[in-house]
Amino acid sequence: MSAETLRVRLLQAASVLALLAAWEGVARAGWVDPLFVPAPSAVARAFARIGPSALAGLGDTLFKTAVAYVLSVVLGVLFGVAIGSVRALREVLSPFVVAVYGMPKILVLPWIVLILGFGTAPAIVYGTIHGFFPILVLVMGGVRDVDRTLVTVARAFGASTWQLYWKVLLPAIVPTVLAGMRLGIVFCLLGVLIVEMFAGVRGMGHVLGSLANGFQAPELFAATALVSASSIAIVLALDTLNDRLSHWRG
Amino acid sequence: MSDLIVVERVGKRYQTTSGPVEALHDVSLAVGAGEFCTVIGPSGCGKSTLLGMLGGLVAADGGRVLVDGRPVTAPDPRRVATVFQEAGLFPWRTALENVEFGLELQGVPRGQRRARASELLGPLGLRDFAAKYPRELSGGMRQRVAIGRALAIDTQIILMDEPFGALDEQTRMLMGEWLLDIWRRTRKTVVFVTHSLHEALALSTRVVVMTARPGRIKSVLELPMPHPRAMESAEMTALRARLWGEIRDESLRAMGER
Amino acid sequence: MRVLALRAAILALLLLAWEAAARAANPLLYVPPSAVLPALGRLLALDSYPDLVPSLLLTLREIAVAYGLAIAAGLGGGAALGLNRVIGRAYGPIVGALYAVPAVVWYPSLMLFFGLDAASKIAFGFLLGFFPITLAVLAGIRQVNPHMLAVARAFGAGPRTVFVKVMIPAMMFTLVGGLRTGLALSVIGVIVGEILGSKSGMGSLINHAYGLFRTSDYVALVLVTLALIVGSDAIASVVEHRAQRWSE
Repeated sequence: MSAETLRVRLLQAASVLALLAAWEGVARAGWVDPLFVPAPSAVARAFARIGPSALAGLGDTLFKTAVAYVLSVVLGVLFGVAIGSVRALREVLSPFVVAVYGMPKILVLPWIVLILGFGTAPAIVYGTIHGFFPILVLVMGGVRDVDRTLVTVARAFGASTWQLYWKVLLPAIVPTVLAGMRLGIVFCLLGVLIVEMFAGVRGMGHVLGSLANGFQAPELFAATALVSASSIAIVLALDTLNDRLSHWRG
Repeated sequence: MSDLIVVERVGKRYQTTSGPVEALHDVSLAVGAGEFCTVIGPSGCGKSTLLGMLGGLVAADGGRVLVDGRPVTAPDPRRVATVFQEAGLFPWRTALENVEFGLELQGVPRGQRRARASELLGPLGLRDFAAKYPRELSGGMRQRVAIGRALAIDTQIILMDEPFGALDEQTRMLMGEWLLDIWRRTRKTVVFVTHSLHEALALSTRVVVMTARPGRIKSVLELPMPHPRAMESAEMTALRARLWGEIRDESLRAMGER
Repeated sequence: MRVLALRAAILALLLLAWEAAARAANPLLYVPPSAVLPALGRLLALDSYPDLVPSLLLTLREIAVAYGLAIAAGLGGGAALGLNRVIGRAYGPIVGALYAVPAVVWYPSLMLFFGLDAASKIAFGFLLGFFPITLAVLAGIRQVNPHMLAVARAFGAGPRTVFVKVMIPAMMFTLVGGLRTGLALSVIGVIVGEILGSKSGMGSLINHAYGLFRTSDYVALVLVTLALIVGSDAIASVVEHRAQRWSE
């Protein structure tokens, strides 16, 4: 480890410890209302209390996210390739795609809940919508940016349309699809959590919401930490997977 | 002997944002089997367009392009293979997998095409690089893979569009010698587009000089001397002077246009 | 021209299909386009929601404060991360990791702490806008060509001059992009915050309409909110182009 890396690690560790210590001190000294800012020790204890229900909620959220994720990736890639590879479609539809993509989806959430009710269905639908558009836009761009020479080469060697898609286009957009998948998971999770907070009966979003309503600060902080850690873990896992699969790109 | 490639009075017009551009005008050309025909001319003279027509990638406005007596309407990988200036290797395929690409498209079974591609690696000087990806190969190596890809489908005709353009001079000269060796062994018909006078004179049996845009055939030089050629000989020096004389005016004209 | 005509045709077809489907299924729930215009009229005449204007203004104020705070913290934080190598390496990954967390998980804590009023929306909007700006400043500083800095120093410029006269213009492009994203996210943060729980602002009006099944009023409110969002992004886009022309 270089000298600078050592300093970096020390700084990180020291900051975290200092923050926790100061926080604990401030809480104990009574400078903040424990109702709003619980001490780290209280949060730690709260972990044990909420453990089972929080994990159940997390599991529920992750299940819905997984379904929404698969749907948004499959649909996003399919439509992205379809629209991106046919110039006529791309030119005509681009502004529509960009417009809908740029629109905050939260605005249609109440309407979706009115139609689908509370529970799992709106969460999956909304989560899918949330993840679908970024992936769609990304894949459309990726398809458009495929090196023209590669397409010319394939045509020169007599590739049929099917062969063009299967042997040139799809392998060429693998990095883009991976980037989309990396992006999509956060968006899907976000979408599911938002629905759970707005109109949920289960899941982490609902858990967080009720804990906040019940002014259960230590439990809320604990649950928030749990979801955050899970999210970071998922993204890290995807990043590692991404790196492994990209060995030919250098 | 009837000519393998016949180009009869073809033209090509493009629509650009600043109006129509005539790339080729009334071009006629014939290439016999086994020839190494170089097309040389200033930038923008339409030589790549012409090559594109031979390869079935560009449609001619007027006139005919015949290969082996048949009109060219689409790429025909059974008769014509193309090598481009940017090697155009698929970055996700190894060198070997790139070489077998054409065979794969034609449905040749795996074992067979592996064997065929591997056979080629020796003469290509790439035997140790079969499993390498394009990003791990030098420019010269990449072009060799591209040429190998063209050789693998064993066509009678190979078209090459400035294949050594992106390489440094020393690599170019070595690649030229190597290409010559391959040509003499395989007896294919090569149509070779280049900027380089040296390449034109060292490699070809015939040199076709094109004018600046709109491209026409200015002149054709026959080079029947045997290979390898002593480039410093009196004969070659005179030819070089003559060739440069033909091209120089056109190059000036092309530059003036810009 | 043909492309525009095709787009118009597609739009028209979509609206027609919507009209037909909504009428056939459940006009109250699915709101055919024909019901939207009158609802919009009622809304803009301050008929259906008399406190439309104060709500709009409140939302705009929340956005302005949230974004202002995000810029201040983002510029400061980004500069600290970008200019000091150790700090950047220590805290940069932490910021990056936090960015990977869906921001909405912080919202219940913010609601607990700040209550249901504007403060929690401002805090949430700030949180959302802060990250892209910080990361843009960081990226902008990192991509500055060190040769340019070396040249400036060779001409005798001190560290402050180098920062102001070379670094800031050099990273303008990235920075302005980050500022624009930050605005978009701050806007979304405030609106999401309002919809998830508030007593005032556009989001609360939307919730109100939703709760009472006043679907056409709901659509009208959404359209007005969209206009706000598009408007703010359009302004940001103009500013972005101006800034980039100057910096290129």
